[in-house]
Amino acid sequence: MIRINCPVCGLRNETEFTYGADATVNRPALDEQETGPWLDYVFNRDNPRGWHKEYWHHVQGCRQWLVLERNTLTHEIRGCRLAREAGE
Amino acid sequence: MAEVLSALSKKLVSGHYGPAGDAGIRLSGRRLRGLWQLAGWANFETAAASALEALGLSTIGTFQSAQATQIACAWRIAPDKLLVESAHDLGAFNSQDLAVLNLSHAREAIILSGPAARDLLSQLIAIDVSPAAFRRGAFLQTGIHHVGVLIHCVEETDFEILVPTTWAESGWEVLLENALPFGLEVHSNA
Repeated sequence: MIRINCPVCGLRNETEFTYGADATVNRPALDEQETGPWLDYVFNRDNPRGWHKEYWHHVQGCRQWLVLERNTLTHEIRGCRLAREAGE
Repeated sequence: MAEVLSALSKKLVSGHYGPAGDAGIRLSGRRLRGLWQLAGWANFETAAASALEALGLSTIGTFQSAQATQIACAWRIAPDKLLVESAHDLGAFNSQDLAVLNLSHAREAIILSGPAARDLLSQLIAIDVSPAAFRRGAFLQTGIHHVGVLIHCVEETDFEILVPTTWAESGWEVLLENALPFGLEVHSNA
């Protein structure tokens, strides 16, 4: 079981959340002409064994998007921030 | 504005249900005075200041704690969102920096009370609702039967559950069926 400490709602069960996407992916500049960066952005993902940054949505709560640092091996979570603040 | 009707009018049938004896649970409904969502962006608190002042509130408040005045009850449901119950028309505060939405027709208030009310909640949500963890004035946003709800602890054993109107009947049925073993009294109004 995963328990996520939502910055708005507090510690909650994983069942209130849905996984969104890989939070390490950055969109290329809109004037990027090479196909490689766009291919990576749209299709290619790492599948790390260990710590990973992910978007999760607190769909049965405050409905905020969150960025978690989750260990894909142990499901340990060491950080959870609002996605709106994660880029600051 | 069209009159706000109760989605639970067919469900609120007064009576005693379940085992005979003292009821552990009481269920009823309450017509909301008017429900408004105030939403903004980075400068939300500034944008909402005049609306807050009109409601007798000094701040947008904190997550998980309700604010009550004589004319309003406010729940800070997100960093830049406030849900407000008030009979006052807040539509006039709508501006470029503050989106005011009338949700009066979109939520139904179910009142859950009784000595076993916390036992019932703990069967339905995976959150600590013991008196020490879920105190008077606190609120939770969670899901009951996969429907997003807001649960406000009004008193030690009194809770108000705001349910989307379109899911009010099924939410009521889930509460009622889980309440039956405790002995249940339904009151047609609060």
